[in-house]
Amino acid sequence: MYKYRYFAVFLYVLIFIGSIHFFQIQLSNPIIEDHGRLLPVKMKAIKSSDDEDELRKIIREAKKNADPISISGMQHSQGGQTLYPNGILLDMKSYNNILKLDKEKKLITVQSGVTWADIQSYINPYGLALKVSQSQNIFTVGGSLSVNVHGRDIAYTSLIESVESFRLLNAEGNIMHVSRQENPALFQLVIGGYGLFGVILDVTLQLTDDELYQIRTTSLTFDEYSAYFKTKVLQGEAVKMHLARISVAPESFLTEMYTTDYYMADDQGQLELNSTLKRESLIAIPKFFLGLSRLNGWGKNLLWKTQEAYNHRIDDSYISRNNVMRSESTFMEYENVNKTEVLQEYFVPIDQFTSYIDDLRKTLEQEENFNLLNITVRYVKKNEEAVMSYAKEDMFGLVMLINQGSSKESIDESGRIIRKMIDITLDHDGSYYLPYYHFPTEVQLEEAYPRTEEFFNMKKEYDPDGRFKNLFYEEYHK
Amino acid sequence: MNYRRFIIYQGSIGMASSMIFPFYVLLLKNVGHSYSQFGWAYGLFALTAAVSYPIIGKLADKTGDKVLLISYAWGMALILLIFPLAFEIWHVYILQVVMGLLGAVQKNSEKTVLARTVQKETAGKEIGHYHIWTSVSAAIAIIGTGYLVDFLTIGSIFYLASAVFAWSGFYIMKREE
Ligand SMILES: Cc1cc2nc3c(=O)[nH]c(=O)nc-3n(C[C@H](O)[C@H](O)[C@H](O)COP(=O)(O)OP(=O)(O)OC[C@H]3O[C@@H](n4cnc5c(N)ncnc54)[C@H](O)[C@@H]3O)c2cc1C
Repeated sequence: MYKYRYFAVFLYVLIFIGSIHFFQIQLSNPIIEDHGRLLPVKMKAIKSSDDEDELRKIIREAKKNADPISISGMQHSQGGQTLYPNGILLDMKSYNNILKLDKEKKLITVQSGVTWADIQSYINPYGLALKVSQSQNIFTVGGSLSVNVHGRDIAYTSLIESVESFRLLNAEGNIMHVSRQENPALFQLVIGGYGLFGVILDVTLQLTDDELYQIRTTSLTFDEYSAYFKTKVLQGEAVKMHLARISVAPESFLTEMYTTDYYMADDQGQLELNSTLKRESLIAIPKFFLGLSRLNGWGKNLLWKTQEAYNHRIDDSYISRNNVMRSESTFMEYENVNKTEVLQEYFVPIDQFTSYIDDLRKTLEQEENFNLLNITVRYVKKNEEAVMSYAKEDMFGLVMLINQGSSKESIDESGRIIRKMIDITLDHDGSYYLPYYHFPTEVQLEEAYPRTEEFFNMKKEYDPDGRFKNLFYEEYHK
Repeated sequence: MNYRRFIIYQGSIGMASSMIFPFYVLLLKNVGHSYSQFGWAYGLFALTAAVSYPIIGKLADKTGDKVLLISYAWGMALILLIFPLAFEIWHVYILQVVMGLLGAVQKNSEKTVLARTVQKETAGKEIGHYHIWTSVSAAIAIIGTGYLVDFLTIGSIFYLASAVFAWSGFYIMKREE
């Protein structure tokens, strides 16, 4: 047998080389999708770096080879905002240092691949907190700026309000300082600009104090909500953050609601006891109930009752601001092969809420197969600083979680219903949020965002070669 | 069967398998879209092993343990060259069946060699001694790979482990002095 050993080695080396060869080919054509999992796209390469000069080189190289670039953070956007066929995926996750904290002025400067979670761990010991972030903290700062996110705070609602300045790596590979004073036009384009104007390098954000809140839950019906919000939340001085839910369970479909208000606790001395950052806990239980609600109406009724009961149980409990801004997300992760879960968000003026919900209910009651799992409601104050601004008035944002198939038919079917819902929203002077799947039509986009044309024209001005591209751009620019 | 060589062989294949194990689980998880597929991938592994033990057992007495050890090492060396290329769930299922078979070959032969070599009276001490060396090399591999992943991609770790398996196969094929 020992006679064959060299032969065996020879054969092995041949196969080894063959395998590496194929592996290289596979690597050079990665198929990438975002977390919505509806848009697998073959891209040319994935590049990333933690070094500014390297990033410039990547841009210049792409320019030389005429390769389009799509910038990505955590890829939680769901309409291919981070993808482009045969483009280069510039993954910013490793560009994630915290550069500077000015405790006096309450300013922090971070690289754009940093997540809210990273910042929270860093500033919590100093008793500081973010002004604006999503409800969850799993997103990157760059990805959040580029969609101009909003969260639960009722005083600072759009992220742009808390941005001081940032540096932008443009299509030429040059670095620009952008703030309300320097290059103000870019300030309004890049925030909410979906990565189409360049790479956000580092960002200076305003912080605020970490505070101790108490939770107040109130059950009410949908037609009481606007008035409740105006008197008890906006005028109720002590309320700092707010969130509401409206039922999607058949027994109380789009009628019952409950609100969660976070009001300033009288005894701030308790803050220290409550300031330890929460970790994800006990996800098995919410995951189980969410699983049941995916199945049928009975599951949805059960989830609604359980949620409401649970929320009344935590009434009056204490929670720090930082902890409100890191709510749990892993229980939502969904791993079905043939199905996925997509988000939608519609904004309607506060005063239109009641009639809007009535119209929405009428439409959705006819769509029996539409698997709507959850609707949460938040508040966004009028803010039209960003060119692509969704907050045209003081509005409620309704975030919907929808369970759907990933086949072409299922996508078409969801698309049909979603376009109907958007029409209703627009009829009520509303708008919708852009980081999700490109179900809406061009006409709908232009109605929701009156400055769309200007936005795409400016895109051409700042990036005439179209270096920065993604499927959102592909779908909607003219 | 040269016992010292057997221990060195066991040490090196132990090292190679501990190197890939954590990444192997990750890979299964990445390729599969759901926990049920993940469960199937593991189930197939265990099932194939169960079905093949009786045959392997007989084979060991007929052909000798060495042939089986050689097949295991070379088999693993080859299959690890295929792993980085797998991207569909059915690729993983097939690989799992082959891995199940190879795993059974190894487990069985390890025990038959020991059974044929150690003295009944001192079996405890000898097998204990045997385990020291194999565990030490596994520990080194696990800790070492923890550092390696900072520098290498997961793909390269599969290739590296494959080369270690190939070396083990080569080594145990040597002529008995
Ligand atoms: C479960 C869930 C909950 C959510 N909750 C909220 C919420 O409460 N409030 C809310 O407002 N939104 C919410 N969203 C939407 C979310 O805020 C956006 O999808 C956000 O863009 C995700 O950040 P990301 O890091 O994943 O960005 P990605 O999806 O990776 O990127 C988003 C966009 O930003 C661009 N981009 C990323 N990094 C950079 C950079 N460094 N420079 C330039 N451009 C860049 C990309 O090109 C892309 O166009 C939620 C989404 C999910 C999935």
